[in-house]
Amino acid sequence: MKQFFFKIYMIAFMALTVFFIAIIWKVTFAHIIEEHHERTESQEIAKYKEEQVEKSKKTTFEKIILESDERVKHYLGYRILEEARIEGHFHHIGFDIGPDNRSYCVKCHGDMPHDAVKELRAFLNMHAFFVGCQTCHVKLEKTETTGVYKWYDRKTGDIVESPVKDNTPGTYNSKLIPFEKVDGKLVRVDSDERIEFAEEYRAHEKSLTEAQKSRAKKLIHKVVSKKPYLCEDCHQKEKPILPFEAIGYSKERIDSITSTEVVGMIKNYTQFYMPSMLQPGSSNDKK
Amino acid sequence: MKALPRASRLIALFCFSVFLLISFTFTPSYAADVGNCLLCHKYPGISRVDEEGKLRLFYVNESIFSNSVHAKVKCEGCHTDIKKIPHDVAKKVDCLVECHIIEPSSEKKFSHKDVKEFLGKSVHGPIDKEGKEKKYIEDYPTCKDCHDNPLYRPLSFFKKVRPGISEASLGRCRVCHKKEEFIYRFYNHVTTRLHKSRNPLNIAEVCARCHDNPEIVARHEMSTKAVFSYGETFHGKAARFLDERVPDCLDCHISKGESVHQMLPKEDPASSIHADNKGKICTNIDCHPSASPKLAKYSVHAEFNLKQSPAQYFFTVFFIILTGGTLLPLMFIILLDIIRRFFPNATIGRRK
Repeated sequence: MKQFFFKIYMIAFMALTVFFIAIIWKVTFAHIIEEHHERTESQEIAKYKEEQVEKSKKTTFEKIILESDERVKHYLGYRILEEARIEGHFHHIGFDIGPDNRSYCVKCHGDMPHDAVKELRAFLNMHAFFVGCQTCHVKLEKTETTGVYKWYDRKTGDIVESPVKDNTPGTYNSKLIPFEKVDGKLVRVDSDERIEFAEEYRAHEKSLTEAQKSRAKKLIHKVVSKKPYLCEDCHQKEKPILPFEAIGYSKERIDSITSTEVVGMIKNYTQFYMPSMLQPGSSNDKK
Repeated sequence: MKALPRASRLIALFCFSVFLLISFTFTPSYAADVGNCLLCHKYPGISRVDEEGKLRLFYVNESIFSNSVHAKVKCEGCHTDIKKIPHDVAKKVDCLVECHIIEPSSEKKFSHKDVKEFLGKSVHGPIDKEGKEKKYIEDYPTCKDCHDNPLYRPLSFFKKVRPGISEASLGRCRVCHKKEEFIYRFYNHVTTRLHKSRNPLNIAEVCARCHDNPEIVARHEMSTKAVFSYGETFHGKAARFLDERVPDCLDCHISKGESVHQMLPKEDPASSIHADNKGKICTNIDCHPSASPKLAKYSVHAEFNLKQSPAQYFFTVFFIILTGGTLLPLMFIILLDIIRRFFPNATIGRRK
């Protein structure tokens, strides 16, 4: 037994020695080698300065997409405010919400998918932040309609309690998803089967023929209705599509989102822009 | 006019008292949003991707905004083209616009116009002395390259958990000023301006966006990655540990009493880092007043770089080799010793 512990001790000691060797190597000789490489590189940069200027102007995927995820910490002394930094953005964001891991729509369409109508796109993206795509883009048949909507956690995808009462409007870590009736059972519209199908399509996309791709896309989007629900379908007092009370909205919040102020503004927008949004190819559509 | 009956008068008096109580007690915290812009802009998802593929976020975090130096500026004070709701696509904000705040000493509308003039004459101005555009003009900073909305940073912090707002001072304010919201905001604004409005590390990070960018450093033929080399110094290392007392970039590169926008190139005789003025930097009353002016002669932005600082380079290399050359063999011998203890009879090519 004593020998066993001695061996364990020796192994740990050996690991520690190797660890120290690695550290000493890194701060000594590796540092010199690194400096040498950096120097060579900077000399090359200086040499090909003009080329570098041209290179920096190129809008590579890496430069625009991957390098744009910069984070900053503001040291205020009494508080550290950490947030994402968006180039040229003046106002502070002040909080983080993780990506929607459940949605199979955002994997292709991104999480700011609305772009067609310039007067509406920001509003629609604002809703897409806490409303699942299917909530507006899936109109169920009468036999499938349940009127049940629930919140799911963006990270885990699990159904969770309503976040509405405990949070500032719209700053939820959850999204709303409708439920449909399948064989008499309540099933979420973003069911595991649909997610698996979409995932498999994404995995095999490169090896599929154009015809196969078209078929797969058709099947993935089969549940999507041609005309989505519109703003006033929910922002109304009479028969809103969403059961606000059931999904956790207080009376004050319901009054607010169905108030004349909001509904009036929606009317102003929809009167001018909404009809053209629903007619693909019209001139306003390309604004 | 017929006099009101006693009961009605009492009710009227009661209602008026309640009205007064509400008016003075519940002063709205977010008075800047008179246009009710936050009806939509309080939602974090209000965003889009623009035609150049850049993320445009239109969200305003109300609680953070109300703790910023612009808290009192109405939205339309900066976004001047927005006159109605729903509004059209908003134009880019011009920071030089006159906003609705009255500057108390001149009683004129407030504007950042002077900053443009300062910046124009500074090393960061895009136009040279002959009135021509400088080379690589796109590299020169505009307002938002260095500034986001400055947040309140009161003069002291209580155990680093809350702003050190002195109740005693607030009590003195209350003698003359009656609005709580005004007192709180004014106190924060003034005390924020009485010291660095950003931590030295934050200042260094802002400068690093350009001055540590290898492409910009190469294009403008700068001798150093300035913030990297600052990070190698004692001051830079202390700044990394969030020390508030160490000098940041602006403390040395701006002449005392001038705006940060008046930074001049080292060749300019008025520059704080001009050879004739350099001695005053370290010996100024806030830093090392009893030191010799020669203190400033040390190479502040020396890098571990053969071309830029050969003496320091070879000196460092010597100590690196000395350290590595001693410790690495020592560690290797210890390792061999441990292996021998595991395999006491192991041999390579030796006869048994």
